[in-house]
Amino acid sequence: MRAQQVVWNHRSGWTPAEAGADKVPLVLYFGTREALSNGVRFNELRIMFPAAHILGCSTGGQINNNDVNDDEIVAAAISFDATRLLLCREEISDPNNSRTAGEAIGHALAGDELAGVFVLSDGLNVNGSELVAGIGSVIGPSIPLTGGLAGDGADFKETLVGGDCAPRPRSIAAIGFYGSAIRVGHGSAGGWDLFGPRRQVTRSVGNVLFELDGEPALDLYERYLGPEESKGLPSSALLFPIQVYDVKAPDSAVVRTVLAIDREARSMTFAGDVPQGWTAQLMRGNLDRLAAGAADAARQARDGLAVQDLGGRPGNECLSILVSCIGRRLLMGQRTIEEVEAAGAELGTDTLRLGFYSYGEISPHAKSGLCELHNQTMTVTTLAEVA
Amino acid sequence: MHKLLAQQVAKATDDNGSLDLDKLWTLVGAAYEDADRDRRRTDRSMSLMIEELDGVQHNLEQTVIARTKELRAREAELEAQNVRLDVALANMSQGLVMFDRDARLVICNQQFISMYRLDNENIKPGDTLEHILDRRAANGTFSADAGHYARNLSTAIEAGLQTTQFLELTDGRTVAIVRQRLASGGWVATHEDITERRQAENKIAHMARHDALTDLPNRVLLRERLNEALALVERGHKLAVLYLDLDLFKNVNDSLGHPTGDELLRQVGDRLRRCVAANDTISRVGGDEFFIIQTNIGDATDAERLARRISEAVKAPYDLHGHLVVIDASIGIALAPTDGSDANELLKNADMALYGAKASGRGIYRFFEPHMDARMKDRRALELALRQAFDDNQFELYYQPVLNLDKGDVRCCEALLRWHHPERGMVSPVEFIPVAEEIGLIVALGERVIRWACEDAAKWPDDVCVAVNLSPTQLASKNLLPTVLGALASSGLSPHRLELEITEAVLMQNSEVNLRTLHQLRELGIRISMDDFGTGYSSLSYLRSFPFDKIKIDRCFIKGLGDSSEADAIVHAVAGLADSLGMTTTAEGVETRAQLDLVRSLGCTDVQGFYYSPPVPMRELSQILAKQPQKKVAAA
Repeated sequence: MRAQQVVWNHRSGWTPAEAGADKVPLVLYFGTREALSNGVRFNELRIMFPAAHILGCSTGGQINNNDVNDDEIVAAAISFDATRLLLCREEISDPNNSRTAGEAIGHALAGDELAGVFVLSDGLNVNGSELVAGIGSVIGPSIPLTGGLAGDGADFKETLVGGDCAPRPRSIAAIGFYGSAIRVGHGSAGGWDLFGPRRQVTRSVGNVLFELDGEPALDLYERYLGPEESKGLPSSALLFPIQVYDVKAPDSAVVRTVLAIDREARSMTFAGDVPQGWTAQLMRGNLDRLAAGAADAARQARDGLAVQDLGGRPGNECLSILVSCIGRRLLMGQRTIEEVEAAGAELGTDTLRLGFYSYGEISPHAKSGLCELHNQTMTVTTLAEVA
Repeated sequence: MHKLLAQQVAKATDDNGSLDLDKLWTLVGAAYEDADRDRRRTDRSMSLMIEELDGVQHNLEQTVIARTKELRAREAELEAQNVRLDVALANMSQGLVMFDRDARLVICNQQFISMYRLDNENIKPGDTLEHILDRRAANGTFSADAGHYARNLSTAIEAGLQTTQFLELTDGRTVAIVRQRLASGGWVATHEDITERRQAENKIAHMARHDALTDLPNRVLLRERLNEALALVERGHKLAVLYLDLDLFKNVNDSLGHPTGDELLRQVGDRLRRCVAANDTISRVGGDEFFIIQTNIGDATDAERLARRISEAVKAPYDLHGHLVVIDASIGIALAPTDGSDANELLKNADMALYGAKASGRGIYRFFEPHMDARMKDRRALELALRQAFDDNQFELYYQPVLNLDKGDVRCCEALLRWHHPERGMVSPVEFIPVAEEIGLIVALGERVIRWACEDAAKWPDDVCVAVNLSPTQLASKNLLPTVLGALASSGLSPHRLELEITEAVLMQNSEVNLRTLHQLRELGIRISMDDFGTGYSSLSYLRSFPFDKIKIDRCFIKGLGDSSEADAIVHAVAGLADSLGMTTTAEGVETRAQLDLVRSLGCTDVQGFYYSPPVPMRELSQILAKQPQKKVAAA
């Protein structure tokens, strides 16, 4: 397997592709909604890589090795020696159909030699938990499922996903890896600190939270954010993600992040379910510990690959895809770069690393191993082939 | 250089290596703003969190205070409940004990400890049942093998058995134990000393089957014993049933009072006990009647020997509260299987044999004979016929005139009842009056006689009265006075024209009440005469006890007149005494002219007998009365 980095910016356009681009089977790319929405960049990639499945989405910032920026489009052209690929795409018109869409993707990709799935989904019009559950219910828990929900900076207006087509809203695209040669590593970690009292989810419907401890959830957030930052809702709510768990199964704890608010109903919509009766606790970020979390995720993903098979290979024979939460970036500001550096240090600086800031991360749970939607985490997927 | 500043410098440096200062200042300024914002957020969230945690802590404290208060209240309630439980346990009449699943003592009350004479010091919660039983064995309130008993009990309770048990203690007490299995394993048991209750129950059971006066078996136990003995008869044994009745016992009661009569019965019972074998049964079945079941006899002579032994024993004089009393017993004997093989039949036949004995005299025994049965049947037929006669009114009144010797005319007629049976013909009063007495028909029959007699007499001349015999039963009846008044009123007969005749026996029985009734009758103007004088005790005290209007001298004296100077003297004396007391005297049974002349000479005022007229129907009497000078007889 070989992975080549390709970058676009206003000044220079695309960096030139290496020889053999016409045979490259897979291209991944990430850029801002503004950069991708006119479809021009996709068409340019299609011309550069005529044989490739081209999979990409809008973001809240791109990761290019140790850099984080908003003005480039980052892409990776990936060639395989013995791995077959299959791409599929689903439209999603109503978030309530998320599970059905997931099942459809699962059915499209399921096969004897399926070894892993990487999925990109619309970030605003989908219930990520249901989507992941839908795919997982078909392909089974043993196939690694990773990916993320597309982003829209701090705007939360529209997210785009493209799979062999120009990126568009309400779209889900996934690529399946087949064969015995491919290895998929994955890791996920947050590094957020729990704080404040534990609260009970006293009223919720699916991923819409109405009340904590009998008080409107939005009141709580507004109080913590203060009048100034409350104006920035829903994105400012990312500063205080919540961890929810079933008291009967504390290991099930997941972090949820806000997608939208309803000032009339005083409710908040999260990227995944917030079941009534579960326990919730606010979280807050600390720069050092968030960076340490990113390093942890990278370590898991690196260790997940069979190391002996990779021994002595050049860095470009391995690819790391980093999907981190927009909430982390909002909190860290200019210092976001520190978590990317921390992850890079674990993965090896000669390994190609690219990725994006998302509205939700998809990866198996670090403890339970079940594929889940995560929020406010750094997730890392590593790909390599064995001879 | 700070890592961030290095990044910012790198970002502000273009591809040619020239530093864009404006861009750098913007980046640096933004970083300061980031830091300020982050600090403000941290401050805000920390103070809010502290505030919230304060709230949470306050709530917790309040909850702890409330819970503590609640717990204290519950503790107090539990303590009160414990006190109540202790009081309840201490005041139970039963002993209570609770064991856990391992048969170890959980709790017991003081009554349990006392009941089994245990010691508070030695019995503690946690002690095994076996240990407690060992303690009881040591003090004599338990006699079985403790280990074996405890294991069996635990098994039985596990199996849901052994819920109620009655235990006889070695010291003679009876304890009722009720055990209830507990859901948690183990059991709770109540122990109740039911010794007194048992004794009372036994006493009641004894009383139900024994005679209170003599403590002999009563009729219930007699039947049981007889049935048991008859079961042996089926296997070839023989037995005798003796039915004993004291002769003239009633006289003892009447003359010496009931307490003395009771004492006599007790002593008779004791003597009978001494006469019989251990397996024989003596039973008092009422009044002065006793049954004896003599079991396992060889033949009739064994029964005869016993009857003789009893007769002798009963006959010996009794000292009753200082009174010396002699009494005889009549005995009827029936044998099984000869005279019957079921209880009813044997008892009935012994009764008939007794009847036969009584009829043959007193103080003797008789074996049952089949003809007794036939005679009994005849008597039964007579009873039925008598009842029928009463319903069909087969009776008629005859009248025997009484001649006044002074005036030579009839002043009184004695009413005499006659029964015309459609098949038997004329039945003698001697035959049917005792039967009427026995079957309780005498009062109703007597009332009818009084009514008829009054109606008939109302048709006679005004100076002729009618005499009606009163039986002792009639006199004792509460209906007598109303009946007499009713008969007089409806017939219009003057009370002076009604004469009631009583015998000495009437005064011997319940004389006080009878005398009161007689006085009431006499105050109405009715005449009272003493009938059959001389046949009973002929006590002159009877003549003093009531102002009779007339004395009727019994026919036996009249019959003896002329043959014995004694009879003449008695009649003369009675007539003289009567005269001096203001009474008239009637000589009964005068059949000849010579007797008439003699009694007149001895001082009798009136005569009655076949010489003048036998009893005649009303029609004939009217003719007799019509023949009398200066007498008018109303149309019959």
